[in-house]
Amino acid sequence: MQAACFTRFGTALFAVTVLTVSAGPVRAEVRLPGGATVQKVDFERHIMGLFGRMGCNSGSCHGSFQGKGGLRLSLFGYDPEKDYIALTHDLEGRRINRADPDASLILLKATGQIEHGGQKRFAKGSWPYQLFREWIVQGAHWNKGSGDIASISINPPEYAFAKAGLSGQLRVEAVFGDGAKEDVTPLCDFRTNDDSVVEVNPLGQLKALRPGDTAVIVSYRGSVTPVRVMAPVESAPGARYPDVPEINFIDHEVFAKLKRLNILPSDLSSDNEFLRRVTIDVNGALPTPQEARDFLADTRPDKRARKIDELLEHPMHAALWATKFCDITGDNTDLLENPQKQRAKLSQMWHDWFRKRIAENMPYDQLVHGVLCATSRDGLSPEEYLKQFKEREEAEDKGWTNAYADRETLDLFWRRQQAVTPDQWGEKTAAAFLGVRVECAQCHKHPFDRWTQVDYRAYANVFAAVSFGISPDAKKVFDDENAERKKKSEPKNQIPPIREIYVGAFSGGKGGNGGALLNPETNKPLAPKALGGPNILVEKGQDPRQALFDWMDASDNPFFARAFANRVWGHYFGVGVVDPVDNFSLANPPSNPKLLDALAKDFLRGKYDIRQLERTILNSRAYQLSSSVNATNRLDRSNYSHSYLRPMMAEVVVDVLNDAVGVKEKFGNDAPPDCRAVEIGASRVNGSVALAFRVFGRPQRTTACDCERSSDPGLTQKLFLMADDTLVNKIKAPDNRLKQLLADHKDDDEALDELFLAALTRLPTNKEREKFTAYRATHKDRRTAFADALWALVNTSEFILNH
Amino acid sequence: MTSRFTTDCEGFHRRDFIKIGAAGLFGLTLPQLLRLESQAKAAESAGGLKPRADAVILLWLGGGPATIDMWDLKPNAPTEIRGEFKSIATSADGVQICEHLSKTAKVCDRVTLVRSLNHTIPSHGPATVFMQTGNKPTPAVQYPVLGSLTTRLMSQQQGVPPFVSFGESRNGNAAGYLGTAYNPFVIEGDGGKAGKGGKANFRVRGIQLPTGFTLDELEDRNKLLNDFDGAFRAADKSGDLVDGLDAFHKKALEILRSDKTKKAFDLTQEKQELRDAYGADGFGQGALAARRLVEAGVRFVTISMGGWDTHGKNFEALSKQRLPQLDQTLSTLIQDLTDRGMLERTIVYCAGEFGRTPKVNKNAGRDHWARSMAVLLAGGGIKRGYAHGATDAQGMAPATEPCTPDDVSSTIFHCLGIDPHTEMQTSTGRPIQLFREGRVIEKLLA
Repeated sequence: MQAACFTRFGTALFAVTVLTVSAGPVRAEVRLPGGATVQKVDFERHIMGLFGRMGCNSGSCHGSFQGKGGLRLSLFGYDPEKDYIALTHDLEGRRINRADPDASLILLKATGQIEHGGQKRFAKGSWPYQLFREWIVQGAHWNKGSGDIASISINPPEYAFAKAGLSGQLRVEAVFGDGAKEDVTPLCDFRTNDDSVVEVNPLGQLKALRPGDTAVIVSYRGSVTPVRVMAPVESAPGARYPDVPEINFIDHEVFAKLKRLNILPSDLSSDNEFLRRVTIDVNGALPTPQEARDFLADTRPDKRARKIDELLEHPMHAALWATKFCDITGDNTDLLENPQKQRAKLSQMWHDWFRKRIAENMPYDQLVHGVLCATSRDGLSPEEYLKQFKEREEAEDKGWTNAYADRETLDLFWRRQQAVTPDQWGEKTAAAFLGVRVECAQCHKHPFDRWTQVDYRAYANVFAAVSFGISPDAKKVFDDENAERKKKSEPKNQIPPIREIYVGAFSGGKGGNGGALLNPETNKPLAPKALGGPNILVEKGQDPRQALFDWMDASDNPFFARAFANRVWGHYFGVGVVDPVDNFSLANPPSNPKLLDALAKDFLRGKYDIRQLERTILNSRAYQLSSSVNATNRLDRSNYSHSYLRPMMAEVVVDVLNDAVGVKEKFGNDAPPDCRAVEIGASRVNGSVALAFRVFGRPQRTTACDCERSSDPGLTQKLFLMADDTLVNKIKAPDNRLKQLLADHKDDDEALDELFLAALTRLPTNKEREKFTAYRATHKDRRTAFADALWALVNTSEFILNH
Repeated sequence: MTSRFTTDCEGFHRRDFIKIGAAGLFGLTLPQLLRLESQAKAAESAGGLKPRADAVILLWLGGGPATIDMWDLKPNAPTEIRGEFKSIATSADGVQICEHLSKTAKVCDRVTLVRSLNHTIPSHGPATVFMQTGNKPTPAVQYPVLGSLTTRLMSQQQGVPPFVSFGESRNGNAAGYLGTAYNPFVIEGDGGKAGKGGKANFRVRGIQLPTGFTLDELEDRNKLLNDFDGAFRAADKSGDLVDGLDAFHKKALEILRSDKTKKAFDLTQEKQELRDAYGADGFGQGALAARRLVEAGVRFVTISMGGWDTHGKNFEALSKQRLPQLDQTLSTLIQDLTDRGMLERTIVYCAGEFGRTPKVNKNAGRDHWARSMAVLLAGGGIKRGYAHGATDAQGMAPATEPCTPDDVSSTIFHCLGIDPHTEMQTSTGRPIQLFREGRVIEKLLA
C-alpha cells in the first residue's frame, strides 16, 4: 500500500518539466509545479520549506536530537541559523560545493547518488533539486529573518465540491515580513484529517472521495492553517430537502450543516430507544423494567423533558460526572500522599468533592476555581487548619465519610507524594480546563499548533510558586505538631507530617519552589503568562493562579467555556465537536464551528450552569434522533445526523452488567461498601472487577490526557463478556435477577418480556420469541434456559453499545 | 489510504506507524482491526531486519537479585564485599559464576552474561519500569513493557495469546501508551503437584471457558445469541462498530474453541523426569509451561520469582532457597530448549530491577544498588559462552563496556527483527521511539 502511494504521487510530483538543467553555475529561474517561478532562491523561504515538506527535519530523521548520519537539523526547522551552519560550515563545508553545485554532498545524498540512510528523496533534475542547486549557484546565502511569516492565506479558504468524485486545487500564499507575497503551495505539507472523505496530494490537489466533510491541514514551515473541505450527498432528481423540526438553537446549527451536505437526519428515536440511551448517558444505569413500562405508558407530551429532569436530579448523575472530573483532573490513587493505606480514601474524597458540587449544580467556573486556585488552608489560621485536618484524619480511620467535600477548594489536586514540576502543572491544567495539549512544546515548537517553548514555559511559570510544604506563617504551629507526630511514629505505622499547599514567593530564580523556567533563547526567567493570553503580574502575597483564573473566566476567553461545552457535548453524542475533546488545536478544527460557538455562548449566558447546558443538549432533537440510519447519513461520523453507536465507560459497563443480571458488585477495600462503579474514587480497585475495568479501558489517570480512557471495543472485551468466570458465575448465581423474575412470571412469554426489558429496554420481537421457545423446548430446566438467554442478551451488540 | 509524500528515514510517514506491524490480533481495538489487511501488507514491506528470534521468555527476579553473588563474584575483594560464596568454573571458557548455580554452570556455553549493566534508580517501582520497558521512567510518558511492544509489533499465531504473564504485574498498566488492549494475559493458578504427575491448574482468565462451561454449551448459547443480535442489525444500526464487534465475536469463538493454549498448559503431556527437572514449584512448572506456550506460538512469556530483596540474611536466603530453585529451573529451561532445537529462535532473559550493594551490611544483607548489576541472556541470536563487560574490582560500577537497560532492550528487539528506533505514536499523537536512548550491543550478537 505504501509503495503504491509513494509511486503514484512520486510520479505526479517529479514529472515536472525541468527547464534549467545546465552544466555550469549559470543563474536561472526555477519553475515550481503549479506554475510559480522562483528567481532568487531564499534559504528560509525555500530551502527550509523543502526540509519541512520532505521530512528531512522530522524527529526520526535529521531533526532528532542526535541528528542522523552526522547531519543534525533543528526539529521542524525552528532554528534557521543552526540549520544554515550545519549545511554550510559543518563537515568542513563539504555539504555545499559552490564551485561545482552538482557535487554538493547534500544533493548527492538526497538524490541517492551516494548512500543515504533516508534513501532517495528526489531525482536529479527535479524541481526540488533545481531549487537546492540554484540556491548553491546563487552563493548559498542566508538572509536572516527573510522567511518570517506575516500571514498565510489559502485559496479557497473553504472548499465545497459540487459532489463527490471531483478534484480541485488549493493554493497557498505566504506574505513575508517584508511584505513580499509568494505562492508557496509546493513547499507546504498537506494532511487530510479523514482520508476516506478527502484525499490530498503533496501539491495541494484535492479529491473528494465520498460525500461528507473533513479538514485538510496545510503547514508551511510551522504555520498551520486548516481548510474545511466538503462534498454533499447527491439527491435523486426532483428530490426536495425536507423541513426538519427544530427544538432549540442546537438543532438549528446541526440541521443547517446537514442541509449543506444534503444529509438527511434520522427520524426521532422511539421511546424505548430514547429511554435506554438517556438513562445510560445521564446516570450510567439501565432503566428497570418497571421504569420502562411506566415511561412507555406515559401519554404526557412532555414526558421526555420530565424524564431528563428526573435523571439529572438523580444521585448517580452527580456520581458519573464526578468520575469524569476525576479523570479530567487526574485522581490517580497511587500518586497521592502517604500513608499508602489511606490513598484510596483520599481518592474517594476527591470524587466526593466533585460529586457534592455537581449535585448542587455549582457553576462551572466556580467549580474550576476550587481546583485551580486551591490552597490547603482556605484562609484558615494554622491552628484552625490543624484542627480540621486532625478531625478528618480521625474520620478517615473510621470509614469513608468525612467533611472534606465541605472544603472550599480541592487541595488534593495539588497534593502528590512526588513533587510535580511547574511544566507538568501547566500540561495538566491546559488539558483539563482549556482543552489544549501543550506537551509537544516542552521540547520544540508544537508542529501542528501555535505553541512555542516560550509559551509553554511562561505558562508553566504561573505555577512556579505553588508549594507543598509549610508556609512561613504556619511554621511554628506545624513544626510543633510534626515533632509530636515523629515521636508517636513507629516503623510499622508511619504518621506523615502535616504539610500544606500554599503559594510561596515567586523567586524568579532557577529550580525548586518558586523557581521559574527560563527562556530557552535568552536563559532568563520567563514572566508567567496565560496560554496565548496576557502576562501575569505577580506581586508579593498574590496567587498568580487567581490572575490565570480571571483570564479564563472572562467572556472572551477562546478556550475555557468552549472546552467544557465541548466535553459535555462529547459525552452525550460520543463524538466532540472538537474530537478528541481535549485536543483543541489548529490542526484539529471543530467539525461545526457555529455549533460550538453557539454552545459556548449559551453556556456563558447561563453563567456556566452545567445542568442547563445538559438539559439543552438532551432536549434537542439532535440528541433524540434514532440510531437507525438512512441512505444519506450512513457514513456520517461527525455531523450528528443520527445517534451514533458508542461504547460505554468501563464503570458504566460494570454497572449496567450488574443491573441487567441483577447482582451487586463487591469492589473490595479500596471503595466504599455497597456502591456502584461510578461512585468510586480510587483509580485502582482490587478484586475480580479489576479485570473488567482494565479490559473496558478505565484510565489510570496518570497523564493529562483524555485519551487514557480507551473504551474502543477490543477482542478482550468480547472474550470477557463471553467467558469470564465472574460474569458467567453471576449469570448462574441463584439469587440474581432470574430468581425473582421466574417466581413472578410463571409464564415463559411473560418472563422473556421482563428479561428483554431489563437488558435491552424493549420487548422481544416475534422472531426472537419463537427462537427462544424453540431453545426452551430443548432445555428442560427453566432456570438454565433463562440464564442462557440472559448470557445471550448481555453478549449482543445492542446491549454493550449505547445507541 | 493517506496520500502523503513526506516519509521518514524508513520510508514511512509518521502517521503510518500507527498501522504498521499491528497485525497482532489480541492488541487490536476496533479502528485497528478495520485496517488489518493494509497493516499486514505494510508490515511485510517494512522489510529491514531479519528476525533471529521469534519469542522471549523473561524470568523476572523481583526485588532485585544480588547479582554480585550470582553472575559477577568478586573472589579477590575484601570479605565485606566478597561475601560468603565461592565461584566455580563453567562450560564457558574463562567464565565463572556462583557455586550455588552449578547446574547453570553446565549450560553457560550457551548463554551470555552481561556484567556491565547499570542504571541510576535504586527504588523498586521505577527501576522495575526501567528494566521491563527499556525506557527510563518519566511522568510524561507511560512506557509499555517489552511484551506489550512485541504484541504490537510482531505477527501473531491464531488461537493463542501473544503475551502472557504468570501472576499480576507490579506495574498496573503494563501496556502504557499502547493502551490497555496490549496488556498481558494473566495466568492464574500454579503448576499443580509436579511430583505426583498431577494436572497443572494453570489457566488464562478470559481466553478459556470457565470450569463447568463446556464448548457444546457455548455453541448452543451462541446460536441464541445470534438470534438475539439479528434485530439490531436489521434495524439499520449498521456501521463500523457493529461490524467490528461481529469480527471480534468470530475471533473470540475461534479462541475459545481452540485448545492450543489449554494443551500448552497440560503439563501431564511431559515426561515426569522433565517436570521434576524444571522444579516442582510454580516457578519451575511455569517455566515448563512457558516453553510449551512458546511452542504453541506465544511471543512473550513473563514468569516471576520473588524474594530477592535480601536486606538481611542474604547469603542464607540465596544459598538455601533462591539460588537452588533458580539454578534448577533456569538450567533445565536452557537445556530443554536446546534439546528441542528451540534455543536458536527463543531468547531467555533473566533479570531483576537492580543489583545489590557490593558492601555487605550489618545484617548480612545487601541493599539496593543500581550502579552495577548483571543479567543473563541466551538464545535467539545472542552470543554463546560469553561474558560481556566487567565491573571494577569492588563491583561498584562497570569498568568496561558500560551498558543500560535501554541497550539490552534494544538488543533483544534487534534479535526479534524490530528496529529499536522504530517510531511509535502515543495516543496524544506524540511520536516516540521504542528505545530512544538504546543502542544495540553488537558484541552480544552471535
